[in-house]
Amino acid sequence: MEILVVIPAYNEEANIERVVDQLIEKYPQYDYIIVNDGSTDNTRKICKNKQYHFLDLPVNVGLSGAIKSGMRYANFHGYDYVLQLDGDGQHEPGCIQDLMEEMQRSGADIVIGSRFKTKKKSKSMRMLGSRLISWAIYITTGGKRIQDVTSGMRLFNKKMIKKFGYNIHYSPEPDTLAYLLNCGIKIEEVQVEMYERTAGVSYLNFKGSIWYMLKMLFSILVFQWVRIREKEVH
Amino acid sequence: MSGIMRILLVLVSIGTTWWILHKIRKSKVKMEDAIFWMFFSGLLLILAIFPQLSFYLSDLLGIDSPANLVFLMIICLLLEKIFTLSIVVSQLEEKVSVLSSEVAIRTQDEDTRLKELEEKQKDSKQS
Repeated sequence: MEILVVIPAYNEEANIERVVDQLIEKYPQYDYIIVNDGSTDNTRKICKNKQYHFLDLPVNVGLSGAIKSGMRYANFHGYDYVLQLDGDGQHEPGCIQDLMEEMQRSGADIVIGSRFKTKKKSKSMRMLGSRLISWAIYITTGGKRIQDVTSGMRLFNKKMIKKFGYNIHYSPEPDTLAYLLNCGIKIEEVQVEMYERTAGVSYLNFKGSIWYMLKMLFSILVFQWVRIREKEVH
Repeated sequence: MSGIMRILLVLVSIGTTWWILHKIRKSKVKMEDAIFWMFFSGLLLILAIFPQLSFYLSDLLGIDSPANLVFLMIICLLLEKIFTLSIVVSQLEEKVSVLSSEVAIRTQDEDTRLKELEEKQKDSKQS
C-alpha cells in the first residue's frame, strides 16, 4: 500500500523548499517525487542542493504534462496510489490521511481534496468558472455533483495511474472527471484545508482562464460523447 | 450564392466535423486542437444556412459575389491556422533541440561520474 506524492513545480523557488521540507519532516511515511517542469528560476538548483527526489524535465510541458510524468514514474516503480500535491504550498499534507481513509472506506478510484464539500463557494470570477464546470458535469453525468472541480489535490488508485500516464485524453482536469463518471468510475470528495498561494505565480492567467474554460466546456459538453467508453474501467 | 454552393458548404461542414470527431475517438488528436475545426465547420454551416449573411457582408466590403466572400473567409481562417501552426512548429523544434542537448549533456555527465567511481574502486582494491 504505497503512496507516491507527486509535486508538480514550475518556477516555485519561493515555495518548494517550505513545502517539501514540511512533507519530509512531518510525514516521512510518504514517498514523494517533485516534477520540475523546465523551470527557468532556481527550482532545479534548490532541489539538487537539498538532495530532494525530483524528476528534472529539460523543457516546459505544462501542468498536465508534469503530472503525467509523475504518473509514469509511479507506474514504472509500481506504486499503488498517487497523490497530486501542488508545489506552491496551497495544500495541507496533513489531509492526505483523510483522502486515503475516504478511498478505503468508499472504494472510490479518485478522491478529490475539496474546498467546497462542506463550505460554500464565494462569488468571485474564478468561482463562476468553477460553478459552470460543476454544472456541465452535473447535466452530462445524470446528476452527479463534484463541487471542487479544479482542486489540484487528488488521490488516484492504481487503476487510474496507468490511464492518466499514457492515455492522450486523460488530462488531470475536470473534463476527465466527467468522462470517468460516465464510465462508472467512483469519485468522492473530502473537505480539506487550502491556503492562498503565498508567493510565485499561478499557471493560469486571465487569457489562459478563458481558453481553459472553452476547452473544458467543449470537452465535457461535446467531445465526451464521441470518446470510447472503456469497458474494463467499469 | 447558388444552391449547389450551399449544399457543398453543408457537406464540407459535416465532413469536417465527422473527421475531427473520428480522430478524437481514435485518440489521434488532443481535444483542445479540435476546437478550431469545430468552429470552422460551424461557420461553414452558418454561411450555408443564412445566405443573407454573406450577401450583406459582401455588399459591406464591396466584394462582387458572396461566393468570393465565403472563399475569402475560408482563406483567412486557414491562413491564421497556418500561421499559428508555423509558430508551434518553431517552438517544437526549439524544444527538441533543447531536449536532445540536455539528454546528451546529462548522459555524458553520468558517464564521467561513473568512470571516476570505477577508477576509485580499482585504486582502493589495488592498495
